[in-house]
Amino acid sequence: MADDESKDEPTLVERWLKDQQEWQKTALAYLDSMTKNEEFLVHMGNAMRGSLLAGKPYPTASSATPSTPEAATDDRIDEILHALHLIQGELQDLRMTLSELASSESNTPGSSGSSRGAAKRTKKKSTGRK
Amino acid sequence: MKRSPEERELEALLALSRQSRAKLQRLHEVLTTPGHYGTGATPATVVYRENKLQLLRLLDADGSPYRGPPVLFIPAPVSRYFILDLLPGRSFAGYIAAAGFDVYIADFGIPAKEDRFSDLAYYVDGLIRRCVRTVASIRQEASISIVGYCLGGTLSLLYTALYPSTVSRLVLLTTMVDGDFEGGIAWIAHRMGLEGESYDNPRLVPAVEVKSWFEMLSPGSNSVVGRVSDLWNRLDSSPDRLRDVRTMASWVDDVVPAPGRLLAELYREFGPGRNKLMAGSATVGHRAVDLNNITMPVMSVSAENDMIAPPEGVDAIRSIVPHAEIVRLRGGHVGIVAGRAAPDLWEQTAEFLGARAD
Repeated sequence: MADDESKDEPTLVERWLKDQQEWQKTALAYLDSMTKNEEFLVHMGNAMRGSLLAGKPYPTASSATPSTPEAATDDRIDEILHALHLIQGELQDLRMTLSELASSESNTPGSSGSSRGAAKRTKKKSTGRK
Repeated sequence: MKRSPEERELEALLALSRQSRAKLQRLHEVLTTPGHYGTGATPATVVYRENKLQLLRLLDADGSPYRGPPVLFIPAPVSRYFILDLLPGRSFAGYIAAAGFDVYIADFGIPAKEDRFSDLAYYVDGLIRRCVRTVASIRQEASISIVGYCLGGTLSLLYTALYPSTVSRLVLLTTMVDGDFEGGIAWIAHRMGLEGESYDNPRLVPAVEVKSWFEMLSPGSNSVVGRVSDLWNRLDSSPDRLRDVRTMASWVDDVVPAPGRLLAELYREFGPGRNKLMAGSATVGHRAVDLNNITMPVMSVSAENDMIAPPEGVDAIRSIVPHAEIVRLRGGHVGIVAGRAAPDLWEQTAEFLGARAD
């Protein structure tokens, strides 16, 4: 009976061959994903850097924005853009103040119909943002 | 049947081959199945936008805003906001919302080149102030609670000192206040050249450079060799656990570029040898910051194993805000907020912020 059991057990060579087949399947699975899925290439590249970062390439020095000869012109444009952002902030503050004023006016007892109407219109305008 | 030494050696090699293949199969499974990364876990709506900032209001499962006292989370502008709302069941902000609070999160977004001119006043007196105004207006409340994390805590502290009547309770998480303490990310950044950042002619500090400061806190483990070795060891975990690791990695490695002017000003105000928070001479723009204005309840939390914001540098707040409740919890800088032991922090924060709403 012991002889029968040892006959059923695969030999080391058979197990080695099976192991090689399994490696081939694994390699094919990777190749298949690499050819069909661009995102997989990015994720695999990240994994080869030791990161499971998903959705974008791992940050490297080469991915940083290089400086260009047009940098001087860009600087002025950037300053203008930043100034516009500051103005946007000021306008948001103004909008919020008007909204608060309108809200407090409509809550004030005995406020006139016309001012209530104006407050409602202002509030409607200012709450249009999602 | 007795095997020869050669056969035993082959057996061992086969076993090693099987283990290695299993790791690669698990890696393949994780990389090819969808996971959660890149955004917060809890449904939310955008209630305010300005430049790259979005102010998010968390929603319940029915898509309705939560009721209860309003709480505004302020993350660090140099990292992505969703560490505070990482995964279903592992969300700090989600926990606080479920505990009976109307939760908002400031997503500062990803700075573009023109944002390199953004300074402390832009963040504190501009973006954060308008976020607080928006929340107060939505809820018709004179004051709200603020939870600031890391550099977001520093900005929240400065804001609260300038506008104390708008803040009912302040929670500061792993917020360094002692700039002279030798250790932590600010100290490393200083050693790696932050003092060289120009206020007048700023650059947008690349994400890879910001990341290098964090990596310098543990140089060996964050080299490519160290990272690959660490990942290889992790591949023994189950695919579900690996997906969680992937979500965390997608925050850790998704560092954003930083406005050079902001960094220059942070160094000028709070860096080693300046340390104006501790000295009581901090300014935001042209306005002096008086921490004596902070009289509302404050809780400051440090993490025992925090290398980014060492607990000694965080707990120093006791000398500038004497009534602050000082809490030290187990864990690291990120683990305390989103790791397995994070519920300790979440429970304490919910308790501090007030009773459950009806």
